[in-house]
Amino acid sequence: MRNEGNETCLIDQYLLRQLSDEDTQAFEVSLLLNAVLAQKVETQRMAHRLIRLFGRKEELCRIQGIYRQLLDEPAFARQLKTIFS
Amino acid sequence: MTTQEDPIIDLYRDSFPTFARMVQRMGGNLEQAKDCFHDALLIYLEKEKAGNLHLHASPKAYLLGTAKICWLHTLDGGTTLPFPEGFEPAEPEDPATEENEKNLLDSLLRSGKKCMELLKAFYYDHRSMLDIAAQFGFSGRRSATVQKYKCLEKVREEIKKTSTYA
Repeated sequence: MRNEGNETCLIDQYLLRQLSDEDTQAFEVSLLLNAVLAQKVETQRMAHRLIRLFGRKEELCRIQGIYRQLLDEPAFARQLKTIFS
Repeated sequence: MTTQEDPIIDLYRDSFPTFARMVQRMGGNLEQAKDCFHDALLIYLEKEKAGNLHLHASPKAYLLGTAKICWLHTLDGGTTLPFPEGFEPAEPEDPATEENEKNLLDSLLRSGKKCMELLKAFYYDHRSMLDIAAQFGFSGRRSATVQKYKCLEKVREEIKKTSTYA
């Protein structure tokens, strides 16, 4: 894999807590000494957050779709109407 | 109902009226019941995908228990009750940060939706690289992995370029 890819992979392993205690410690020392690496870690952390945000957005759309689909079922819609009438 | 129906639809159909009845008895409305139930279902689905769903009761009982915690959290205004186990709010408390993140996500989706979908398949849906390679048309696991890291680097660069993140 490309060098950049190796670094990205290492950052991922750090963020996903897949490194051993010893490797985590060594990586955290590198972060203190290397501002460029530290910035990459922070932007990659943010990337993970945005991917999760995207995933949740899509999943909630799917759930909303299921709700709309069920509202088209007379028995389901009737049950809800009875509960909130 | 069809024989190939998504089991989540069945779970929804079976569980939501029970939860809605509970919310109604406690003075809530349909919209509130739906919002809490959807949050609980999201937690259920995320745990299932991550392989962290360890059920000690039926899926319905788990879902109703989680939805109830979400509902009590809503009633409480989030002041004393903790979020349900395994739930980490994806959105920040600060509305300005939330808005910035939404704008950044929209921009990423406009400039590289395929990359975001690939990254979602791995990091959010927890699918294997072999599955991802097949879905996205890569020759194998290795080339899909290389592309995954290229996408991650691209997203990182976009984040770095924005003034909202420094």
